[in-house]
Amino acid sequence: MFDGLALLAGGIAHFLTPVSLINIAWATLLGIVVGALPGLTATMGVALLVTLTYKMAPDQAILVLMCVYVGAIYGGSRTAILLAIPGTPASAATTLDGHPLALQGKAGMAMGLATTSSSLGTIVGIVFLAMIAPLLAEAALSFGTYEFFWLALFGVLISGQLTALDDPLKGYIAGLLGLLVAMVGMETLHAHVRFSFGISALSGGVDLIPAMVGAFGLAEILAVMKRTVDARVITSADRVLPRFSDLWRYRRTTLRSGIIGTFVGIIPGVGEDVGAWASYAAARRGSKERHLFGKGSQEGLIAAETGNSAVIPGAMIPTLTLALPGSAAAAVLIAAMFIHGIRPGPLLMVENPGFLYQIVAILLLSTIAIAIFGLSLTRPLLLVLQVPRERLMAVIYVLCVVGSFAITQRMFDVYVMLFFGVVGFILREMKYPMAPLVLGIILGDLLDLNLRRGLLLTQGDPTPFFTRPISLVMWLVIVFTILLSIPAINGRFKALFSRKADQAG
Amino acid sequence: MVRADLVAAAFFIVLGALILYGSWTMPRLEVRRIHPMTVPGLVPGMLSAALVLCGLILGLRSLRLRAEGGWRSLGAALVSEGARRALVVVALALVYTLGLVGWLPFWAATAIFVFAFVIVFEVWVTPKPKPLTHSLAWAAGLAVVTAVTVTMVFEQLFLVRLP
Repeated sequence: MFDGLALLAGGIAHFLTPVSLINIAWATLLGIVVGALPGLTATMGVALLVTLTYKMAPDQAILVLMCVYVGAIYGGSRTAILLAIPGTPASAATTLDGHPLALQGKAGMAMGLATTSSSLGTIVGIVFLAMIAPLLAEAALSFGTYEFFWLALFGVLISGQLTALDDPLKGYIAGLLGLLVAMVGMETLHAHVRFSFGISALSGGVDLIPAMVGAFGLAEILAVMKRTVDARVITSADRVLPRFSDLWRYRRTTLRSGIIGTFVGIIPGVGEDVGAWASYAAARRGSKERHLFGKGSQEGLIAAETGNSAVIPGAMIPTLTLALPGSAAAAVLIAAMFIHGIRPGPLLMVENPGFLYQIVAILLLSTIAIAIFGLSLTRPLLLVLQVPRERLMAVIYVLCVVGSFAITQRMFDVYVMLFFGVVGFILREMKYPMAPLVLGIILGDLLDLNLRRGLLLTQGDPTPFFTRPISLVMWLVIVFTILLSIPAINGRFKALFSRKADQAG
Repeated sequence: MVRADLVAAAFFIVLGALILYGSWTMPRLEVRRIHPMTVPGLVPGMLSAALVLCGLILGLRSLRLRAEGGWRSLGAALVSEGARRALVVVALALVYTLGLVGWLPFWAATAIFVFAFVIVFEVWVTPKPKPLTHSLAWAAGLAVVTAVTVTMVFEQLFLVRLP
């Protein structure tokens, strides 16, 4: 316990240098701008910054990336409130109550509440991150090749299940497509090159960052440019700083949303958007002012913003301890960590125990930066929202090209970006979620390698995959998850419970 | 959406079947005496079979559902104003990425792309066209600023090579 506190103090002290503080300030501010601009998502912002932080020291690079991530998830709320367009997908739930509040002339109050809720949400998540991550890392040390196979499969499945709002089948398909993309190139067990069709660039496989810049950058540009109507910015001059009594009144909602957000974050590949929707739905069910939801409820706004921000620290839990990304942006962070020689996974706490607490410190410091910027820079941020998209998107596409080229310096990666951008856009238009696809690309190798390595160890006998205690629980959960996603079975299952409830009542 | 699902289902089934064939015919590396349960084609084969299965379910489901508007609504979505705008973006992006970059210096290619993008979307492909002279000035200014800033920032400040 005290070891943890000492490491945490060390983590914070590590970043209390002028260089770090300057990096925190500009990176968080850049993140807020990235989040506020429709067409630039948090994932895209982090992916682009990986290029720029390439030459930085590892701790500063991760600091900058995390600050951009945290800032962007918060920044989206500005656009949601003032324009009724979510600046990032994470703030879609914020538009429901944020924009009606702005229409009622309470834009300042909405922005203030969004700021404090985001900060509080991150803090709730940070507490869980500091408590759960060391325990999970210790448990993960006993995971073997069999467990990692199930973990990879479970990650893609659950991400497909939860990110495709009402159609898990499309989520599964997206996940399968991602896993199949990961099959391209040299496999790690026998060093055999698969599906390269004689193209030498393909034998190295498809890199994650160009694929993500395409799926989250170009696809987003296409989605933004497709809209024919322009949105109008709403402004008002009311008080931005929220009253303490307002915050205290909704303390239960804040805490509940923070906890929901954190746990959504822990689930692999399920990100901020789901965290916000889940907290919003829970707040609505538990609220006394249910009729106000969707018409400018402060509680709804608080729930959505607390929920999406709490996902960030939550997502870092599996990211750091299992190398299983908790959200799409966390996937980019994993790639960035590898570039900088940090290996997330069960051994992280053994090899580099201070790193987890450095992440905690970064989250804490960027949260403070958000509160300061969010409550003070209302006018300058308004200017950002007034940039016409025709001009902005052209520049963003240039950044997509540079961002995907710069890491390995080959045009092939730019073509990968183009391909994933166009295909990603078409899939999104047909309501296929992007997160399982990306997760599939990352986890494909883990799944493939661990399945075949396990079979090699047992001379082709699959029994240990089903009988080892942790594996047993995992595959049962997977089977249950798939069964419940089949409408007929799900209906019967629910009927079973409601009948029991009827009899009891 | 129902008809679009049917088309997508057909595509996924064909794609899955092709990958399944590719996995089945993939070398089994018998010469290296690897265990037959660890052949490289094992996992791609399983995944593609799952994709075919999902495609079949998706296809059957969309056949059973009543499609509102049927094929006509899918056709309408493909030729809508929104689709046209998206296509123009893709066309501009393709010309820039596959044509201009590599053929011209990066800054020049970028300036041309930004200039063209702004003009096309402010003057032609828009419900509210702006006067050409007004847009010309903005487009030219933005093109020069973007080209110079991106080149300077990436090459000088962050020491990254550009295409």
